[in-house]
This record gives sequence, structure tokens and C-alpha cells, in this order.
Amino acid sequence: MGLKPATNPDVEATTIELNIDGKAVTAKDGVSLYDVIAMTGKIIPAMCYHYTFDPFGSCGMCLVMQEGKKAPVRSCTAKAAAGMVIRTEGEDLFLARKKAVEKHLSVHPLDCPVCDADGHCELQDMAFQHGVTNLANAKQKFIPEDTRSPVLDFNMNRCIACAECINVCKDVLMIDALQFMKKGGFNQVVAKGDLALHCEFCGDCLAVCPVGAITNKFSKYLYKPWQMKKTTTTCNYCGDGCQLYLETKDEEVVRVTSPLSWKNKWGDRSETAKGHGGLCVRGRFGFEYLDSQSRLTQPLVREGGQLVQKPWLETMHLLVDRLTEIKRKYGADAIAGLVTARCTNEELYLFQKLMRTGFGTNQLDSSARYGHMNFVLASKHAVGLGRSPNDWEDLTKAKAIILIGSNISETNPLTAVRIKEAIRVYKAQVVTLDSAITNVAKLASHPFLIKPGTEGAVIDGLVKATIDQDLVDEETVGRHPQAFEALRGAVANVSLDQLSAQTALPIEAFREIASIFAESPRSIILCAEGIVRRANGYQNVLKLMDLAWITGKLGRTGCGVDTVTEEPNEQGAVDMGASPEFFPGQARFDDPGARERFAKAWEASLPPVGSGAHLIEILKRCKGGQIKALYILGENPLATLPASMEVRAALERLELLVVQDPFLTDTGKLAHFVLPACTYAEKDGTFTNLEGRVLRVRQAMDPLGESLPDWHIMTALANAMGYRWEYQSANDIQAEIMKLLPGYYNLGQPRKVVPVPGQYLSSGYAAEVKARYQRTPPSGEHGRPFSLLMGQLLVHSGKLSTQAPGLIKIAPNTGKLRMNIRDMERLGLQDGAKVRLTSDRGSLQLGVQADQSIAPGTCFFPEHFNEPPVKDLMTVSVDATTGVPSFKQIWVSVEQA
Amino acid sequence: MSVAALTKKILHAALFYEIWDAMKVTFRHMLHRPMTFQYPREQRTIPDAHRGALGLLRYDDGRERCVGCDLCEAACPSRCIKVISAEDMTRPLQRYASEFYIDITKCVFCGYCVEACPVNALAMTKMYEYSTHDKRSLLFDKKRLYDIGERHLDDGKKYLYAHNQEKNVEQSREYRYYFPQSVQKSTQPPPKHLS
Amino acid sequence: MAFEDQRTTVYKIDPEHPESESLPTLRTEELLLNLGPQHPSTHGVLKVILELEGERLVKSTPVMGYLHRGVEKLAEDGTYHQFIPHTDRLDYVCAMYNNFAYCRAVEKLLNLQVPERAEYLRTIVAEVQRIIGHQFWLGAQALDIGAMTVFFYCFRDREILLDWFDELCGARLTTTWYRIGGVERDLTPSLIDKLKQFLDYFPPKIDEYQVFLEKNRIWLGRTKGIAVISAEDAVNFGLSGPVLRGSGVDYDLRKYEPYSAYPKCEFSVPVGKNGDTYDRYWIRVMELYESVKIIRQCLEQMQEGPIMADVPSVTLPPKERVFTNLESMIQQFKLFSQGFDAPPGEIYCGTEAHKGELGFYIVSTGGGKPYRLKIRAPSFVHMGAFDHMARGYMISDACTIFGTYDVVMGECDR
Repeated sequence: MGLKPATNPDVEATTIELNIDGKAVTAKDGVSLYDVIAMTGKIIPAMCYHYTFDPFGSCGMCLVMQEGKKAPVRSCTAKAAAGMVIRTEGEDLFLARKKAVEKHLSVHPLDCPVCDADGHCELQDMAFQHGVTNLANAKQKFIPEDTRSPVLDFNMNRCIACAECINVCKDVLMIDALQFMKKGGFNQVVAKGDLALHCEFCGDCLAVCPVGAITNKFSKYLYKPWQMKKTTTTCNYCGDGCQLYLETKDEEVVRVTSPLSWKNKWGDRSETAKGHGGLCVRGRFGFEYLDSQSRLTQPLVREGGQLVQKPWLETMHLLVDRLTEIKRKYGADAIAGLVTARCTNEELYLFQKLMRTGFGTNQLDSSARYGHMNFVLASKHAVGLGRSPNDWEDLTKAKAIILIGSNISETNPLTAVRIKEAIRVYKAQVVTLDSAITNVAKLASHPFLIKPGTEGAVIDGLVKATIDQDLVDEETVGRHPQAFEALRGAVANVSLDQLSAQTALPIEAFREIASIFAESPRSIILCAEGIVRRANGYQNVLKLMDLAWITGKLGRTGCGVDTVTEEPNEQGAVDMGASPEFFPGQARFDDPGARERFAKAWEASLPPVGSGAHLIEILKRCKGGQIKALYILGENPLATLPASMEVRAALERLELLVVQDPFLTDTGKLAHFVLPACTYAEKDGTFTNLEGRVLRVRQAMDPLGESLPDWHIMTALANAMGYRWEYQSANDIQAEIMKLLPGYYNLGQPRKVVPVPGQYLSSGYAAEVKARYQRTPPSGEHGRPFSLLMGQLLVHSGKLSTQAPGLIKIAPNTGKLRMNIRDMERLGLQDGAKVRLTSDRGSLQLGVQADQSIAPGTCFFPEHFNEPPVKDLMTVSVDATTGVPSFKQIWVSVEQA
Repeated sequence: MSVAALTKKILHAALFYEIWDAMKVTFRHMLHRPMTFQYPREQRTIPDAHRGALGLLRYDDGRERCVGCDLCEAACPSRCIKVISAEDMTRPLQRYASEFYIDITKCVFCGYCVEACPVNALAMTKMYEYSTHDKRSLLFDKKRLYDIGERHLDDGKKYLYAHNQEKNVEQSREYRYYFPQSVQKSTQPPPKHLS
Repeated sequence: MAFEDQRTTVYKIDPEHPESESLPTLRTEELLLNLGPQHPSTHGVLKVILELEGERLVKSTPVMGYLHRGVEKLAEDGTYHQFIPHTDRLDYVCAMYNNFAYCRAVEKLLNLQVPERAEYLRTIVAEVQRIIGHQFWLGAQALDIGAMTVFFYCFRDREILLDWFDELCGARLTTTWYRIGGVERDLTPSLIDKLKQFLDYFPPKIDEYQVFLEKNRIWLGRTKGIAVISAEDAVNFGLSGPVLRGSGVDYDLRKYEPYSAYPKCEFSVPVGKNGDTYDRYWIRVMELYESVKIIRQCLEQMQEGPIMADVPSVTLPPKERVFTNLESMIQQFKLFSQGFDAPPGEIYCGTEAHKGELGFYIVSTGGGKPYRLKIRAPSFVHMGAFDHMARGYMISDACTIFGTYDVVMGECDR
């Protein structure tokens, strides 16, 4: 690790002593001198330094005097050595630093008035601090601005060649999209190969640029830092829960900035294990939907087949009348509710409380049902804990990581950065098992491509290989010999040869992966959409738990089976009880103790056990006519589920459909009432991220138009129906949750949890393990050669991001099927050619485009777009245990149209 | 006290001497010209340095001087300026103020915005009569400010000169930095004043 | 309120005063009178609750805050530079002196040296402002007592100086001419000529004011022996300026903590004897002569030179450099958007304004904005002595007593 502190916990560097400004200081050997000085609290100016990457040493500001040397030395690139005597202050050093600033200024354009970085510019600060006046020989570069990239503009006149952007891209993000190039007599930062920049567009280069050389196209020239209100809040695109700063001007979101910035360049390198503070393309550039023109600003009520704008009061009166009438006529079981996991914890809590105590129904579900529920229920079943046991720090410091079925750099980009750091700094062995060529696979030590839909078989093979090679942790297994025997018996007839043929993974690979996983001191399995959103997700997670258990990784610090979530608060939705199975705090709904506790706390009688229904069941009952009223909060089942679910028919049969959403969604267009809700920028609350950290969401601007926060609407609804809910703010709800779930808001720290598999292993395990490894022979008889996958793109998240014009500009809906170039050649298809895509459900015609991340034999269409309606080709299989619908993969045939 | 002094004092008291003394001054003033003038008919001569209503200026070739840097907004102690800036799509790198508001009801006429302006786009004029029945018309927008600047161009230039913002109206054209230099081609020659 | 009980108290005839025994026993009661806040001679919006026994003042309680605008809090919100226009609105009659006192305080915090010419300019303008202030006071005080003519004459001459200010800085009252580190604009030859003309014109006019007052028996009757305060009490009440010197305390910051160009000028500080309203009037008139003297000396001694300190981290660059020079442009942007970086610390700096000691107390925790700024306004301190000084005098004296402090409510309530 070059000159940086030896952060690898496995390596202990020797301690040395040196003298800084007359004080004795101890430090680790081989550390950058600059870091040692920074650790003592002294701040030496440095423009090219940032603690997240190795010192570069181009700015020449961090000069110090070392005893025995005539000229000042650059402290960032100098290594701390024992016995050094260093002076960091003095007139001579000040003048030397001033010279360095002057050098940069002399070729800097007179741009401050138009520069977006003005007021947030390190060169300005340095020039001002060092009192530079009256430069001689100032000249300008006159380089035209590079505006080729859709996101970032490069104005190389302003560049000071500090290389922070290049270094952060190369070292921290491992994307390496930028480089220096000598052009027009100056060293310029250009995209690799001097092409238009096309990368992941995380914008971290923008964040670390100390001048205005890299500017954001979406907010170019719209602001100056002093005009804006800066609100620290939590991103609402994925479950990573990144902290970001929403910068607003009146009612307008101008830009998003990250904690990663040239401004906080001093830090401990080991702290980056908890996150380097950067953002991804969605978080940084996907803010435009917040103040979008298409936001709903008035309640809409259906009148004679049309949605017409009505004032809130009238809408609420009409709505409550309809609701009470339905409840009176058909009973509580005629009402159901769906909620999105993009709501805050407080709103999710309030939603389930409204459904259970207000409407008296347990027919409620959240969007965690689309996949995360598989993991939660499996994990709860096996280890008594419905969430990922590891946080980012564990992930960064792991020695072996198995990424199975997770294109993590697309779904959760910042968790991917943790894995990249694990690879780069902690030298972790990373195994990727996926049916696509993912970005992480390109960096991983053991990338494996498997046949689509065979993730379950791969896990079988891994368990088998572990037992075969005797990689079993004797001590752990010894505690539950009966359970282990049952497992051994269950996998006895699994044959690796057969699996190898089925999955396209060589037998040696099974063995190698098993030994990497078993032999590492800290190993983590990360299973994501490829497991939990596909068929048999529940069983596959349990199998991974088996694998972790027999290798002794279950319950050990820094090890475990983890998942990631697509929406920001899926974990919160489960924790807040927005599912028919759970009360808040993951107490089971049928647990009499919990029922009594919550009934008492809410002063209400609860709906009976067994009356509950999850998403699929709710839709079925809607279609069957049992459910007459559906309250949909931010969800959009019509646009999400394939046509085979007959969602439209189900919704059209309803007597009352209420949709509460910031936008008029497809589902909203069918609704009888559409209530305008706020986005996360306009309300307070908390999100629970995939680590289990509870993160604050803060109000950055006033609600747009007449829209209201969801909790406000729900409170008003409950009060209008005659319940006395006295919530004045999200804080009041929080106070109630705190009383019911003590310790939940753990000051934003991940709650350390230890999985306890003992109970499960000793009681029900042996009985059910047999069935788990019973293999149904692969049905090769589908007759369709291609596997069609629907999944997430890096730039998008759900349907929400399609409302952000910036993100659409980066990744528009091409309406084209993505295929491997070799498949296209084989079929004789040109880029853009029309193909006919046929599945058991039907066929449609669409264009095709080559994509190098798609494995041969598969084709891909992003799930964010319904134009053309590729999703309708999908079949839905519903998991028997968890009710999770899986509809992201199907076999299709592709032929030229 | 001597008898003479006492007599004088009594005499003064009896004759209200001090009143005659003061009346002398008063009567002398009857011969003076009046100090006052009849305002709407007669106007006061306003000095060049006078800080009156603000106006936006243009260069001699008619281009807007303002580049929308928002520094006036930062400098304003009464927060009465609002600038909304945008990119001028016709000229690369050029920023301009798409909207510019001065709430003249809040303005304290301190002149800081003029001092702050890095291109001398703002100037104060001798205009001070803009009372109105409608308070809303006192929110000066960009058009109104340019109108004021145009109508009171001489005042504005004199103001800048008087407050050391511009050396001289004639000289200023020499060193004026047309800002910023739009760079379109890498082979473009540098502007004259910088070469 | 506490006053409620006293209203019904029936005063018994004091047995120690024999003359009262001859009077028939009448029911007498204390009268409570609200003077202000809307009263033409309360110099702004001041309310005084007077407790009266007949026409005599028994107790008077000034109620302040009707003109409170939170100026001290405003200071915490802007940069040091941005607060200068706010100081104009403290004592709105004499904005220049407020600017001066504030800039001096900040310069003391920054340990900033002001160029010599700027010091002279500051002294000249401060003394012009002192003349304006005293003229204003004299006119207003005479008006309070009933002499209309003096008011007109004072305001006539004040007008000349206000126009001079207009030509100097562009505004007659809200001047904002002083800057941290110097002054905004130099005197032009025309301004110097006009000032010199005024200096020749003005002393005879002071004599003229005197003619109306110094022998006028009404004036003497209303000022001599009115609102007497002893030297000891004056010091204890924290009075300053002419009010303090009227009681015979020779204390003037210009002499005792010399600042700006004052040490280079010869002038005397008039000191009264009796501590009554007349002495305070006399001191102010004498100060008019002294101010003229100081201005004359400054104009003679003043040399050419810069008018702003050249400290790039604090003072603005000359505008022409901003257009062409990146460093100056950066300086301009940093200073206007973030302000200069003041060292952490606390300072108090008092300046002898024409009303008394105007002090600024600044707490800085570093950065471009003050952490706390407290203004020691002489008007406010003087109002504290009002009850003491007014006790036993007639109700008609009340206005002249707070008139004698030269109270301006903008400064008093802040």
C-alpha cells in the first residue's frame, strides 16, 4: 500500500518516533510524512492530497523543512522515518508555498465570476491565505471546454493538474476512466483515449476537484455556493443509505454534493472501510425529479371517468365517506394496502398502524415483497434475525467474498466500492458467480460465469464440495451432529459432475471456491437479486446459510450471509411491520405476546391471525372481489408486475382505489383518488439501510404545491375516520416507535447483531433439510435457447429515476434488447436490427443492441422501462413459503424479424 | 458688585435687553435670500457620488455587462438582490443573469453591490423619485434595471468614476476585460489586451 | 403592575412640614402619567412612565425597546464588512461616528494599521459629524424649551454639512463612508474648498446661536440648576461625553485614549462645574468651536497618501486590478462572499462620539462573522440616570432632561 498507513488489520507496522516542530511524535513506519503531521492536528495546505488515495505530489504546497536538507521537501510523498526532525512552519516555508500557489495562478484564467467553484475553490483559498498579489507573467491557456460527456464538462483552463480526479477514479473507484494527456502544450485531464467520457458517472471526480475544472452539466452556472441551503440527508435510491447534501435555492434543488470533497481531505485511511463518502450517478445526478414539472400538486378525484383536481378538504371528505361505507358494507377484510419501501420508517410504521388499527385489516404489504422478504424470512427462520448481519466495515475487511447473483456495481454502487476496497487494500479474494459479466467480475480474483437460473445448483455444489473436501469446521458442526448428519445425507446424492454440466462451472471451480470460502478467516457471502428475486429464493438463501454454518462462518465476527436492497428502506419496511407476517420490530403477527403488547400500545383490537394477505394474495383477492378498496402508497404494481398477473383486471374490479404518490403513475391513472405526496426532500424521517443503520432524512425544501408528506396524509385520514392520532410531526411518530422498539434508532450506528442458529439447528433443521437439496432435474426441454433477464441499470432505480431528466439523458430507454455480440453475429443481427422475442407468454418485436456485459446465451432488458412491454413476456412464479413473486427471468427465442 | 454693574443689570432686566439683542439678529436675516427652495418646481443639484436607485449597465456595443456571478447578492447587507444565472447557449463559457431582481424597498443604498461587481455592471444613479401606490412595482426586475441603467447612463458612469470604481470613462475602455473570453477553437488568438 | 397599588395610596400630610398644617386635609394621590411613546419631543419612540406628585416628578421609569431592531443579532449574520451599513442606523443623526467607532473596533480586533491620510480624513469627517450632532441637539433642545428660531438656524447650517456629506459619500445620513482599514473615498478639491468656506462661515454663526440663548432669561431659567447630577453620581451612572463633563469630570477619550489624528491636533476639552443642563449646553457650544479648530489643523497637516490600508487579506483591492488581475479578483470574491478571517478573541473599543462613549464589544471565534457584537450606546447608558436626575423637577422638565442627554432612540434601543 505504498506510502499510506498500513491499514491492513493483518499487518502490524513497526512504530517509529520522529520530531515535528519540537514535539516527539510516534507513527507507523512507512506512512506518508504528511499523514503523520496531519495526525498531530497541524494542517499544512495541500491541493493534490486526499486521504482516500495515495499521495501524488503535484501541487508542491505541502512543503516542510527536514533537518539536514537544504531545500524544503514535499511531505506527502516523503516517507516518515525514525529520527526525522521536521519543521512545518516558518517564513521561508510560507514563501515557498506562496511560490507554489503563484505557479498555479499564473496560468489560471480570470474566471471567478462565471466559475461554479467560486467560493468553494481551494486555489482561491490558498491564494487568499498566502496573500498573493500582483503576479508577473500571467498567461492563459485558451483551451476550449470539453462538453462531449453527457454529465460532466471539462474546462482545462482552470485545471491545476492535481490529479485528484484521476487518482480517485483509479484508486478508490477502480474505474480508471480519466488520464492525463499532453495537448496544446498543457497537461490536460481527458477521458481515457481522449474520447467522450463514458463511465459510471459517479461524479466523485467532480467532488474532489479543488477548482472548477470539472463541472456538473445539470447545474452548470445555476448557482454560487453562498446562495444555497445545504441539507444533510439520506439518498433514496438504493439501500446503501449514502449521506448526501441536497443544496437548494428556494423551491429548487440545484445540486447534490457528497461528504467526499476536496474540503475534507484529512482523514484516517482506515475510516474509509465504513464508506469513502462518495455517491453514485443516481444519488449525485438524479435529483431533478424532486422539483420536476410532472409532480402532482393537487389531489385528483375521479369524476365521470376523468381525474379532476379538487381541494384537499373536499377530497378527504369524499374519500373518508367511501372508505367508511365500504368498511360498513363489506367489513374490514374488504380493505387492503400496499406501501413502497421508499417511505420513511415513520411512515411505514404509521401505514401498518393505519391498516391494522384504523381499517382493521392485515392485508398489507410493502415492496420488500419483491425479493428482500425471501432473505428476511430465510434468515429469520435460520438464525432468528431478519437482516444482513454485516456492515460495510466487515465487508471491506473480509478476506473472501462470494458474490452470487448480484450485479452489485449496478444495483448498489457504493457497496460495490466497499468490495473494490476489499480487493485493493485488504487483498480479499472475490468470487463472482453470475450469469452476466459484471463490473466486479472484471476486478475479482475468481470470476465465474454460470448459466442463468442455476444459482441454486451452484450452491448445492458448493455445499457438496465443502463436505467432500472435508472443509467442515469440526467444532461448529460438532455442536449439532444430528443436523450435520441430516445435511450430509441430503447432499449425498448430489453429483458435482451433473451440476457442473448444468451450471457450466467446472468441478475444480466448485472445489476452489469452497476452499477459499472455508479457509479465509473472514468470509462473506453476498446474495442479491439473482437469488432473492428468482425462483426458490427462500431455499437458496437457506442453502447459503448451510454453507456458512458448516464452514463455521455463521455467527463469527466479520462473516455471514448478506444481501443488498434495491429500495432505500426495504429493511425498514420489514422492521416497521409493513408486512402481514410481522409487527414492528419483526415480532411475528401470530405471536400472542406481541399481539397483546401492540394491542395495548395502540389501544385497539387487532385483526385476527390468519386474515392477512401479502402482495400476490391481495391482488388475487382484488380480482376475486373480496377486496373492494385498495390503498396504494407509492407502489406501482401495474407497471411492475407482468401482464400475466392481470393486475389491471384486479384493480379495475375495485370499488375504491386510492393512490398516494408524488407522480401520476400507471396505477394512479386507474385510481379513484390520487393524493399528492411529497418526496423525501420535503419531509423528515429516517431510513434503515442495508447495514441496519437508521439514517436521518431531513426536510430540504417546502412541499411542492399542495402536496403533503405521507405521514401527514395518513394522520389526517385516520383523524377524519374518527381515530384520535395526535402526530404533529415525524418526531412524534419517532417517539412512539422509540417507546415500542427501544434501541432501534441507535444513533445511526449499525446495530451489531450475532446470528444464533442453535435453536433452528437443534429443532426443525433435520426435518426440512432433505427437501431442500432434492433436485428437480433441469428442464432442458423448454425449447427456447435464450434466457431473458430483466434487471437494474446503474443509472436507474425502480421507476422513480425515470422521472429525473438527467438520468434519462445519461441512460435513455433505448427500447432495445441487449445481447452479447457473439450471439448477434451467430444470428446474423446488426446493431439496431429488429428481432422478434417470443416466450411462452407471447411475443413482441423490438430492436437489439450489443452489450459486452451480457453473457452469451442471455439477453437483457432493463426493468425500469415498459416501452416496449418486455415485462409482459414474463411468467410469475410465487414462492410457496414467502409469497415472493419472481418474474425477472424466462426462456425466450430470438429471431430476426 | 459695583453700583454701575448692578444698575446695568437692573436696566437690562427691565428693558428685556436680551430680546432686543436677539431681534437684531433676526431682523438682519430678513434681508437674506431664502435658504429653502420649492421642491417639485426647483430641483436640488445632486452630486455625482450620490447613491440613488440602482441600474444595470451595458457595454458600448450593447452587450450586457452582467455575467451573473451573484457576488452582489453575497455582498448585499440587506439581502435585497436576487440573481438567477444561466448559461448563454449562444456563446460557450458565457454565463449571464437570466433574471435579476432588486427589491428596492429593502435596499439600504450602501453601494456595496457596485463595489463588489467584478465587471462594473451595476451602478447607482441620481434617480430618487420613484414613489408609487403599488408596492409590487418596487421590485425592480432585470428589464427595469437595464432601463434605469440606460436612461441614467451618464449618472452611472459618473458614479463609478466618483467612487473609484472606474478610472475614467475613456480610459476604462482600454483596460476593460471583456469577460470571460469565450474559447471556441484551440487555435484562437488571445484577445488583444492580454497578448 | 406594581404601579396599581400606589395609585390608590392616599398621601398623609407630612407633620414635619408646619406650613402644610394650615392647609385643609385634602385627599391627594400620586398620578401616573405615560409620556410617549408617541410624543413629539421624546426624540423617537421613547415611553416614560412618570409618577407625579402634583407637577413634581416622584419617580420616572423609561420604557425602552420600541425601536428595537435586533441590530446586534444582525451583526452575527453578516460579515464584518456588511455590518457597516447597519451601524448607520444606530444613531441615525450621526452615522459617520458610528461607522468610525465600529471600524475602529474591528481594526483593533485585526490589529490593523490605518494609513495616515485616512486617519486625518477620519478625524475631519468625525468632527464635521460632531458639529452636525451638536447643531442638531442644540436646535432640538431649544425647540423643546420653546425657542423656535435657534432650531431653524441650526438646521440651516447643518444642511450645508449634510450636502457636503452627500457630495463626499453619496448619502446625507446613511453614510457608510468609513471602511475597515481606511475610508471609502478621498476628499476632492471641491470638498476641501467647501469645508474651508464653512469653517470661515461657521464660528460667527455659533455666536449667533448664543445670542438667542446665553442671556435669554427663559433659557436660563429652564436650564440653570435643572437636572443636576454630581460628579460622583455621574461617574457611577456610567455617563460619558458632555453629560459627564458637565458635572466637572474632565474625561474625553480623544485626550485620554488618543486615537486617529487627535493626538496631532491641539484642542481643549471644555469642562463644566455645576452639572446642570446649562453646563451641558455650554460644553456642547464650546465643542463646536473646538471642532472647527481640529478640522482646520487636520486640513493643514494632512499629506497626500493612500486612504486604505493595503492588507490583501482584509481590504479590498483597487477595482481596476480586479478587472485584469486574478489574485485581486480572488481577493474581491473571498472578501465579499466570505469576509476576512478575524482572529479569535474579544475586544472592546470605545470612541468619543458627540453623545459620549460609543463602544463596540466584539467576540470573535475566528472566521468571517462576529460571534457576538455588543454595542455600548451612550444614549442607553444615559437613560439609566434619568430617574435620578429628574426626581423632584417639574413635569415640563422631563423632555428637556432626556433632551439634555441628546438621546436618539435608534441607538438606545438598537
